[in-house]
Amino acid sequence: MRVRSLLAVGALLAFLALLDLAAPRVLNPYYVTILSRIGIAVIAAASLQLVNGFTGQFSIGHAGFMAIGAYASAALSVYAGAAALDAASQIVPLTAARWLYFPVLLVFGGLVAAVSGIVVAVPALRLRGDYLAIATLGAGEIIRIAILNIDAVGGARGFSLASSAHPGIDLRYESLAGVFGVAALTVATLARLVYAGGGLAFRAVREDEIAAESIGIATTRVKIEAFLVASFFAGVAGALFAHSEGYIHTNSFGFVRSFELVAFVVLGGLGSLTGAILAAATLTALPELLRGLGEWRMILYSLLLIATMLLRPQGLLGQRELWPISLLSRGTK
Amino acid sequence: MSLLEIHGLSVRFGGLSAVSRVDFEVEAGSLVALIGPNGAGKTTAFNVVTGVYAPSDGSVVFAGREIGGAAPHAISALGIARTFQNIRLFRSLSALENVRAALQGARRSGLRDVLRLARWRAREEAAGREARVLLDELALGEFASARADSLPYGEQRRLEIARALATRPKLLLLDEPAAGMNPAEKQALRELIRRLRADHGLTIVLIDHDVSFVMNLCDRVVVLDHGEKIADGPPDRVRRDPHVIEAYLGSDATVAP
Repeated sequence: MRVRSLLAVGALLAFLALLDLAAPRVLNPYYVTILSRIGIAVIAAASLQLVNGFTGQFSIGHAGFMAIGAYASAALSVYAGAAALDAASQIVPLTAARWLYFPVLLVFGGLVAAVSGIVVAVPALRLRGDYLAIATLGAGEIIRIAILNIDAVGGARGFSLASSAHPGIDLRYESLAGVFGVAALTVATLARLVYAGGGLAFRAVREDEIAAESIGIATTRVKIEAFLVASFFAGVAGALFAHSEGYIHTNSFGFVRSFELVAFVVLGGLGSLTGAILAAATLTALPELLRGLGEWRMILYSLLLIATMLLRPQGLLGQRELWPISLLSRGTK
Repeated sequence: MSLLEIHGLSVRFGGLSAVSRVDFEVEAGSLVALIGPNGAGKTTAFNVVTGVYAPSDGSVVFAGREIGGAAPHAISALGIARTFQNIRLFRSLSALENVRAALQGARRSGLRDVLRLARWRAREEAAGREARVLLDELALGEFASARADSLPYGEQRRLEIARALATRPKLLLLDEPAAGMNPAEKQALRELIRRLRADHGLTIVLIDHDVSFVMNLCDRVVVLDHGEKIADGPPDRVRRDPHVIEAYLGSDATVAP
């Protein structure tokens, strides 16, 4: 078992390295950008699935936490990261320093988002159903508008990662390996969390809160945990987004983005990580693939959404998982 | 010694008094029935004991500790488990997962679930075995991987009991376990309750509508009507109690000998 997991991790790393070396040569930058956005969408959708699909709390403000992760990590990079990298490059090669800094900026973005997630969750989770949804929508908008008014991160001009004090330091990461590596780590973490004996608490809360309480599950704590983990990974996704785009604006994190994430989890199937991943990948790629249709593009996109919901109201996968996550999901059965 | 003591318990919802000034005690190891017509306040009493409602007045003492108004999950951790009148299973989870959720309830592991070290694996396997033993004990073994809402009605009721037992309770509250059952099933249920009480050293309080089901099962019967206690004692005495007869049948009725 141990050997097999090591082999799997090794194979994944080799694939990622190959991806990083080959992709820029084979694909034009437009496709690389789309692939990178798919990876980021997967992280955000999988994390939202924990709250909406597994814990049954309907949050529609997830983009707000992405915004926090994006802006917090970008601010870290511009105000401290660039200087730190400049100093470190005197000792180690700049490339090595940049890759050491990469996890730092992701974890920082995630942690700041997680803290804000708790700040939102503690009061908001006193609400249920539609009321919770509206509260999270409001929280997401408050976050966006608050950031819009902070001049230190560019305000309405948007925030660029080009650092004027350290012009030689590139803070952008155009690495598919980085994005997909983090996506794999995120999905593996969430799957292990949910498909374990302890993870049954999330699903028990979704199924019946009163019954869950009656068997000793502290439902409020479980909901806050779900929110905490989900907003952490949303923050990581935001940090990845900021550092792969190199420029961020609050418009990228409005309620349209939040709704898009909700569409991913609902369309994929509430309670299926694989479903969220498939839907996030498909629906991120689809508008690009439909570009040839000009102004009919978004109409067709919407019609496809409507048709899917009519034909499969439970989502693409319902609550099922596909390989390799199904290996974990069968464990608790 | 009394395991559960209820003193002067009142529950009001706005102007409606669901339970008013009710006292009763449950001795450790006993099997007590709580009966009464519809709307008598039986389930409300259960809901207060399990923390779903806070008492408006009065006290609920379990194993020497005041639990009135405590959170349901905290009360569960103290050793009170229950089933529900309208079955409340985790519908889309398997029968085994329903029981495992209760085994795990109090001890969530978070980071350990993510890391999955050797000790974690051993603990998960032990929990899986324990859940299977409970399913087998309630003759649900063959349904282990079936979705809870796909089970036949009687099996769903037993699964609720298995889930309650998984919390390792001292006191088990059964809310109308015999509802919707025919006489043969009721008889089997009586046997089951006796067996579980003996095997798990349980104290049991069960709710039912009528005296006949609990007659040769319970040690004591407490009768509620319109939120007040009208009788309390051994089943055969309660059955002859004029207040009880009046509550069930009206004031002119008499009981056939």
